[in-house]
Amino acid sequence: MTRKSAYPYWFFIPAGVIFAILFIVPTVASFYFSLTYWDPFEARFAGWDNYVQFFSEPFLVRGVLNTLFFAFLTSALKTGLGLLLAVLLTSGIFAQGFLRSVVFFPVLVSTIGVGLLFQELMHPTQGAINVALAAIGIDGPGWLVNPKLALFSVALVDVWRGVGLATLIYIAGLSTIGPEYYEAARIDGATRWQQFWRVTVPLVRPATNTVIVLSLIGGLRLFDLIWAMTRGGPGFSSDVLASVIYKQYQAGFWGLSTAGNVILFLMIAAIVAPLAWWLNRRELEA
Amino acid sequence: MARVVLRNLRKSFGALEVIKGVDLEIEDGEFCVFVGPSGCGKSTLLRMISGLEPHTSGAIEIGGRDVSGAEPSERGIAMVFQNYALYPHLTVRENIGFGLSLARVPKEERNRKVDAVAEVLQLGPYLDRKPKALSGGQRQRVAIGRAIVRDPEVFLFDEPLSNLDAALRSQMRIELTELHERLGSTMVYVTHDQVEAMTMADKIVVLNGGRIEQVGTPMELYESPATPFVAGFIGSPQMNLFEGGAARTMGCDVYGIRPEHLTISDGAGQWVGRVRHVERLGADTIVHLDVPDLGPLVARVDGGLTYAIGQQVHASPDPERAFKYRG
Ligand SMILES: Nc1ncnc2c1ncn2[C@@H]1O[C@H](COP(=O)(O)OP(=O)(O)O)[C@@H](O)[C@H]1O
Ligand SMILES: [Mg+2]
Repeated sequence: MTRKSAYPYWFFIPAGVIFAILFIVPTVASFYFSLTYWDPFEARFAGWDNYVQFFSEPFLVRGVLNTLFFAFLTSALKTGLGLLLAVLLTSGIFAQGFLRSVVFFPVLVSTIGVGLLFQELMHPTQGAINVALAAIGIDGPGWLVNPKLALFSVALVDVWRGVGLATLIYIAGLSTIGPEYYEAARIDGATRWQQFWRVTVPLVRPATNTVIVLSLIGGLRLFDLIWAMTRGGPGFSSDVLASVIYKQYQAGFWGLSTAGNVILFLMIAAIVAPLAWWLNRRELEA
Repeated sequence: MARVVLRNLRKSFGALEVIKGVDLEIEDGEFCVFVGPSGCGKSTLLRMISGLEPHTSGAIEIGGRDVSGAEPSERGIAMVFQNYALYPHLTVRENIGFGLSLARVPKEERNRKVDAVAEVLQLGPYLDRKPKALSGGQRQRVAIGRAIVRDPEVFLFDEPLSNLDAALRSQMRIELTELHERLGSTMVYVTHDQVEAMTMADKIVVLNGGRIEQVGTPMELYESPATPFVAGFIGSPQMNLFEGGAARTMGCDVYGIRPEHLTISDGAGQWVGRVRHVERLGADTIVHLDVPDLGPLVARVDGGLTYAIGQQVHASPDPERAFKYRG
């Protein structure tokens, strides 16, 4: 039997220390502070009060539901659109390289910039979108001022901004599928449509899993775009957990705000960890 | 009836012509092997027959029907790829039945056909496994199963054995030959390995630089290679070929003699040389000689004979079996 040397473990220490300082300490600290009423000078123990209060405020619960709606909608759209765009951009169409840059470009722009830009574009009367719609005789909706539509509009902008990354991941995934898989399918008489569903979709699965998990995490913790476009409004109609947490913090309810952060963390972990595990297992089975 | 006829077939990729006018008739039920060095256009020719690669000019007939422009699925062919192209997310059963399920063949009939094919290929115990859980030889059989289940008139193979180890390769050569006898279908088989060509083919087509060099049975190519290229390509160890002065003294431009048609003796002989290297194969021994008049010379002798490195010997060709080429 060979004894394992301790020596290699020394190399984990730098990364381990950084991980502990930047991640474990703040996480444990927020668990603690979420159980207190705190400000920079003192922390009074509050038990579960912050959590009870959090779930008894209807608009906070609304924030949780909005977060879930937003995350699942944007993740689904980015996954579907990303795959379609990637298939299109690898099919050898005209100006492929240029079009790839166009699709990826929004990923590089600052989110706040995108938010402010679309706030202008989506203005109910002067915004370019509704002006264009009016020109063809359509009465454009109040994208960001209609409480039923605001969150949905932000979601569309988030998809526009984020689909480039999904497309990039998919292009990488598609490039790993050898041409002989399609050739074998063609010999078996597969139509284009069958090739897409029976060859591309299953074989690009590792990329799909990556896109789903990344966009879901991004969607669950989204803050900047919401804040730049609606500040959670009108009313609380487009508030998500992150914006609610920020508002509580601004209003001086630091303990409540920390409790919100813990809930957000647990929610992401509770959704993403099992999902990632399930997706990976299916991938390994393949 | 599935004769395959190629008429003045050409293929260019851009300005590069890779198939330069091929005329060929493959008889119904024949096992035809395309052999040639890497890059000579074997795969391209096979892919044109399959319809995966459109041809630039000429005509292709399968079973008396001109299939130019027809989709691969409409040509009555099935193809086995070098790396098998098995779908990793599907079981062996689903892989074999893939084409049937695309064609919406009812599940019961599909299972019946897959079971029948699995029986032939002894894949029964593996039907519910994924390709990842199979050995190389089993994957190869699944790929063949996927071809058989289509019940094609013509099977196309592109170097199907090159990913297998040597022992498995010789076993699969026998299995494929037996399969051919059993199914009686036309088979077109691409390889760069002349051993595969010699052992399996009814008809060998030697390709070189996009042209047919010679067509014939294995023994015809061995007994009377039409060109020095074929002479050097068919047979193992390779035929000794000499050009220039050495050939001119024999009254030709290229002179060829197979290692098995040389006799080596300690006494008199046509050429004198020294033993450089000896490969003992058991039954035979391959002796590499340095002959000052010729250059390197390889002879195949009885395994019972022994030679020391550096030893001086005489080598004589069997004049009946020597090949002399002009031009
Ligand atoms: N899609 C292609 N585009 C350009 N050239 C190709 C293509 N496919 C094959 N070739 C060229 O055609 C020649 C023959 O290739 P191939 O038929 O694959 O040879 P083989 O199978 O005999 O090794 C090679 O020179 C190769 O580089
Ligand atoms: Mg090839």
